[in-house]
Amino acid sequence: MSEFVSYVAIGLGNGAVYAMIAMGLVVIYRSTGLLNFAQGEIAMFTTFLVWTFTEVGLPLGLALLAGMVAGFLVGAVVHQIVIRPVGDPHEKPLAVVIVTIGLFLGFNSLAQLIWGTDQKIIPKLFGDGTFMLGEAEIGWQKVGALAVLGVEALLFWLLFTKTKLGLAMRSVASNPESSALVGVPITRVLMIGWGLAAALGAVAGTFMAPNSALDANLMQLPLIYGFAAVTLGGFDSFVGAVVGGLAVGVLTDVAPKYLSVFEKMPLAPAFILILVVLLVRPQGLFGSKKVSRV
Amino acid sequence: MKRGVIAATALVLLILPLLLPAFRVGQVTKWIPLALAAMGLNLLTGYNGQISVGHGALYGLGAYATALTVTEWGVPYLVAIVLSAVVCFFAGVLVGLPALRIKGLYLALVTLAVATLFPQVIEQFSSVTGGSSGLSVTSEQMVRGKLRPSPIRFDPPEWTGLAKDQWKYYWFLAVAAVCVVVVANLVRSRVGRSMIAIRDNEIAAEVNGVNVSAVKVFTFGVSAALAGIGGALLALSDAFVSSLSFTVTISLYFLVAVVVGGAASISGPLIGAVFYGIFIDIVTPTLPESIEKATPLILGAVLIVLMLVAPGGIVGLFNKLMTKRRHRLSTDSGSATQ
Repeated sequence: MSEFVSYVAIGLGNGAVYAMIAMGLVVIYRSTGLLNFAQGEIAMFTTFLVWTFTEVGLPLGLALLAGMVAGFLVGAVVHQIVIRPVGDPHEKPLAVVIVTIGLFLGFNSLAQLIWGTDQKIIPKLFGDGTFMLGEAEIGWQKVGALAVLGVEALLFWLLFTKTKLGLAMRSVASNPESSALVGVPITRVLMIGWGLAAALGAVAGTFMAPNSALDANLMQLPLIYGFAAVTLGGFDSFVGAVVGGLAVGVLTDVAPKYLSVFEKMPLAPAFILILVVLLVRPQGLFGSKKVSRV
Repeated sequence: MKRGVIAATALVLLILPLLLPAFRVGQVTKWIPLALAAMGLNLLTGYNGQISVGHGALYGLGAYATALTVTEWGVPYLVAIVLSAVVCFFAGVLVGLPALRIKGLYLALVTLAVATLFPQVIEQFSSVTGGSSGLSVTSEQMVRGKLRPSPIRFDPPEWTGLAKDQWKYYWFLAVAAVCVVVVANLVRSRVGRSMIAIRDNEIAAEVNGVNVSAVKVFTFGVSAALAGIGGALLALSDAFVSSLSFTVTISLYFLVAVVVGGAASISGPLIGAVFYGIFIDIVTPTLPESIEKATPLILGAVLIVLMLVAPGGIVGLFNKLMTKRRHRLSTDSGSATQ
């Protein structure tokens, strides 16, 4: 039993990271209608920026904040230079897929070019300490990840419901043309969305890196988990991203421990989840159903 | 004009290995598996409009099917290739069925997940596949008077007088040529026209009597079979397979080849594969060491720029150029007669 509890705790901790990636995906999906296949690689890149800030002497917490700011700029620049010219993702899905995959290759290679292929170490933000829950030993890092996820979710909720910027972002998502007519600067709003997603990526990467080590492949699996999370939660729902992320985290950490079929392929349960949800309930748990006129 | 280009290309391909040094012949031979997989992906994505970011998994499946049948059952290479094609055709049909309901960006997502999952599956079944440490493709051969398993080779028959590399090249080229002829005829057939009709407007195609589901699933199967043949050739070429050869990036490179060469044309993905091969094998080694790692960065940048500036790829650019020239010629002659 105590084993099960600690697996679930680890799963929730990792799930918090997937939820952060998923929230980044949702921000971009809601505003530009695009599945960002480069989300993971941008997050990996910004995590390297965090590492760089720790190297110049900043404590990890400050380095993370600096990395988030730098990540915001990276995301904004990517949107302005690469994404904006592509056009409507639902009109030309191939073009969007190709461009984000170009970004995927580009960021992966750029990180290796700048920081080399040696693995870097990022310490745990909340230290190595543990506490006992019943008989199960649980790391503070996992609890910290959940807490940070909670803060992020709260901030996003406040942003989208209480601020003018959030209102603008929602209006662009629901009807870009009408928003432009009432004076919403669409490009700038979308740019901010991409920046926010990249900033979230820096946090996700900083929590992910201590699990293994920081290298250019850090976020390739977490990206798929993030996608599984948004698929389950619904592509346009923040609540869904959080719930989906935690569920995927628990599923992919617990299932391989008890089912030997999944022993070396923790991705398989997540994959089955993606497939089943898309086939049975494509809008996910909390997403809005898409209706199109023919 | 078109026949002339094809004949000239065939001639170049035939005399190429006689002119190049042996190691270059080896490199060019390795472009052939990639070209076949890209051609398969193009059939699906370019002609039929279904996006797959997961063809690396089918490529891998084909490679393992050949590696295992040759090593375990000792089947002849050609039979192994056909078996790979059949296995991958059915795997493709299996992926194609859910793809009837999952479309566009979401299909890209599912196939990306397939590509990421594949190396893990190989690890999971490492007792059969050898996992990341790999599997040698062997056959029973006479070694110092004894029959024992040793890595497969392509020994040329004596009458040809060819070196091993050259023989292997011609052997691969022949397989590729058969595939190209089949695909070229397929896209010009009734089924091929249905594929294009579905891509351009699924509802209109259905109204006109195209069996949309059957055509889409069939296209997925054929596309997968081509990727499988590519993978089979890769396994035969390296005499070795490992999960490390079939990571996500290989799937991405197929897309690079298709887009750079030009989607929805027969020659496009082939040109794209050659472009990729030249870039990796010939250009990259000449770069200074400090920017050698930038290869995927440059490929990614090329991909993005091409998509924004010339979505038709190299073939598209060439066609545009030819149309412009023809147009100019015709207006020139028109004004001369007035």
